[in-house]
Amino acid sequence: MSITVDPNAAPTAPPVRGRGRVLPAPVTPAEMVLILVLVVLWAALAFATPAFLSAGSIIPLLVEVAPVALIGIGMTFVIIAGGIDVSVGGAIMVCSVVTAKLMRDQGLPLVLCVVVAIATGAVLGLMNGLLIAYGRVHAIIITFGTANVFLFIGLQIFASQPVSGMPSTLAWFGRGVDGQTLGVPHSFAITVLLAAAAWWYLRHTAGGRHFLGIGGDAVAARLAGIRVQRRVLLTYVITGVLIGLASIFTLAKGTSSLDQSVGNGQELAVIAAVVIGGTSIMGGRGSVLGTLLGALLVQTVKSGVTQLGWPSQLSDLFVGIFIVLAVGTDLLRQRARRAV
Amino acid sequence: MSDIRLSLTGIVKSYAAVKAIRHADFELRPGQVHALVGENGAGKSTLIKIISGAVTPDAGDITYDGQPVTITSTVDAIDLGIATVYQEPQLFAELTVAENIFLGREIVKRGRVDWAAQNERVVGLLDTLDLPSELATVTVGNLSVATQQQVSIAKALAGKPGVLILDEPSAILTDAEIDVLFRVIRKLADEGVAVIYISHRLDELIKIADQVTVMRDGSTIGTYPIGELSVRRMAELMVGEALSHERSPRAVPDGPPMLELKSLARVGHFADVSLQLRAGEILGLYGLIGSGVAEIAECIHGLASASGGEILLQGKTIAPRTPRHAGEAGIALLPANRKTEGMFSFQSIAFNISVGHLPRLSFGRAFVDRRKEHAVAKDLMKRLAVKAPDENYAIGNLSGGNAQKVMLARQLVERPKLLLLAEPTQGVDIGAKEEIHRIIADLAANGTAVLIVTSDLQEALRITDRLLVVRAGTITAEFGPDARQVDVLAAAAGDAGQAGPAA
Repeated sequence: MSITVDPNAAPTAPPVRGRGRVLPAPVTPAEMVLILVLVVLWAALAFATPAFLSAGSIIPLLVEVAPVALIGIGMTFVIIAGGIDVSVGGAIMVCSVVTAKLMRDQGLPLVLCVVVAIATGAVLGLMNGLLIAYGRVHAIIITFGTANVFLFIGLQIFASQPVSGMPSTLAWFGRGVDGQTLGVPHSFAITVLLAAAAWWYLRHTAGGRHFLGIGGDAVAARLAGIRVQRRVLLTYVITGVLIGLASIFTLAKGTSSLDQSVGNGQELAVIAAVVIGGTSIMGGRGSVLGTLLGALLVQTVKSGVTQLGWPSQLSDLFVGIFIVLAVGTDLLRQRARRAV
Repeated sequence: MSDIRLSLTGIVKSYAAVKAIRHADFELRPGQVHALVGENGAGKSTLIKIISGAVTPDAGDITYDGQPVTITSTVDAIDLGIATVYQEPQLFAELTVAENIFLGREIVKRGRVDWAAQNERVVGLLDTLDLPSELATVTVGNLSVATQQQVSIAKALAGKPGVLILDEPSAILTDAEIDVLFRVIRKLADEGVAVIYISHRLDELIKIADQVTVMRDGSTIGTYPIGELSVRRMAELMVGEALSHERSPRAVPDGPPMLELKSLARVGHFADVSLQLRAGEILGLYGLIGSGVAEIAECIHGLASASGGEILLQGKTIAPRTPRHAGEAGIALLPANRKTEGMFSFQSIAFNISVGHLPRLSFGRAFVDRRKEHAVAKDLMKRLAVKAPDENYAIGNLSGGNAQKVMLARQLVERPKLLLLAEPTQGVDIGAKEEIHRIIADLAANGTAVLIVTSDLQEALRITDRLLVVRAGTITAEFGPDARQVDVLAAAAGDAGQAGPAA
């Protein structure tokens, strides 16, 4: 669709907007659809298996969503700025095994555990960011490479046996009674708070808008005076930091042992949440709210399939369909625009 | 002298071995619209890039408001007050007009972008450009290219620039939009902005420019008040002393036309294009960017479909829908940009020649006959004098001239009846250029009809039997082989009084 402006034509009934409302609506149509789908799903599941809406079912769901949604915030920044990070799984493994061993062997207290995990994640993110922003190699190649490096490092630290006998230092982030306030898991509450902050940052600060500009057209962004390389680097460091914190959530929600499968496949879960949330895989458009909804949708589907007693492969099928729908809508939209 | 806003003296810039600018001097005063003209490759765009900070000069001095300055990045230029509107709108499709205008220089209040204040400024800017204020909240990707261009200008104005550079702003605008543009430029100049205006359309400079600086072969050759110039005089200054070129006399063949276009049209690009091309003839189409000349060739090759008129090949109407159809009819196209539209860089020469002809070079149209593929490649390499160790050599490692010969070889595998050549010697060194010209002449001598679309005027005059000038979407003049460069250029750039002598 094209809007050609003829200076002589009378303005054709513009949508009257309130002053200052120059941004798109806070909740995009795609996000409204997601909310609707979630509500319908939850209602249907509540109807089919009455246990679904009980605390015993919802709390584990929120605890599972937290790490994916949290990393999804960083991934939203990365993808909006025109990149991608497929090294998430490996990075989670490194962060959690480092933290787990220090916690068990050195008796690290809660706060130091968080600091260690975040610092480790930040270093890994910095590696990705430096290579991508300054090495000028495509993000998928770099992070595919670092994913394997991280995996190797993680497995070396594991030294071919699971970390067992961990103390319950991290219970505050866990799925037990210590890990919730008024029935809300702390990990999920933190994720929502950080997501809200990130949502606001992306919409209302110059720095946030610059991410959208870079993903839209990096050359134009540079010409507009944006320090593109630094901003791109920042997206990967943010993701790294969030991976660190998400590793704490992952450690806390498990049992007292941690095995080598930690983080396995998480990059795909995170990217799925971001894409289903309506962020364009081409960059330049997207929102953190969508990612949060996307993560919730993926976990709801998984949890629902399990509770209905259906074969678990079905959840993969449904997630796959959601991804295809989301990407397909995005591509159709772009094609319609190019056909001008 | 504070009377001078921007001055450049003794600017030199080379890219590797190529001297893009040998010597440039340029002076810009506030309140002035200063046009910069020159042929393709004269150094205009490099000079603009130096002023806007996209490239750094090797030598020379720049002053801004009398102070010596160094501009090493686009940020430096923006900070000085130099705003550039690029030929291609540099905008963000997913963001609104208001955001596009302020991205990189947001109005920030307590850490938060002040949307209301930005919107208010944007409405003011849109008003200056005669654009409706509702546009502020429209997503840029939904706008036409012309409107995007106007948004780019609004974006440049948002920084309250002291110098505004407009690089070919009119190439994609309609006449009505150009009138608005000129009114805005005049208004800005009256407010004391110094405007640098680049255009190929010399006729519009008479309307808008105060001063004209002419560049030729990497040097500025002078600055003239517009009152002293006419379109023809500007063309003469751009071309300089016409180079005498030898061309071997060619017998122009008789016979029925191989290709005939009857009032061919494509809405929005060209209209009423009629021409005849005989077997063995070399016909040139010359036109400036935006004249529609490139689209005519695309229509003949099935890359775009015509909206009216007829294409006749050997007297039969054809309507090629895809390049494959065109190829089956006997039409081959050498695309203008071999890197993006032609070459498979990592593949061998043989692969690059045979691709697209594989059914002919296969057993039972299924299994590629390697021996045949290589024999054909070897034969063509020899005929076109491709300099490479052998046919297994990767094309990406060849020089521009040799790569172009391989691209040409691909078009010759099936002996086309009609060969379309778009910019056949772009980015090719002089020696290889001569050879390619010789090959083209040989092909014509063997009965191929050749249609060349080129923006290289010297080349067009040198190898074509007839040259048609395309301007504003239609053929406006025809020249024979003895035409002078300046006449052709004046005709293409819109000298109303110029009618070419028919061949």
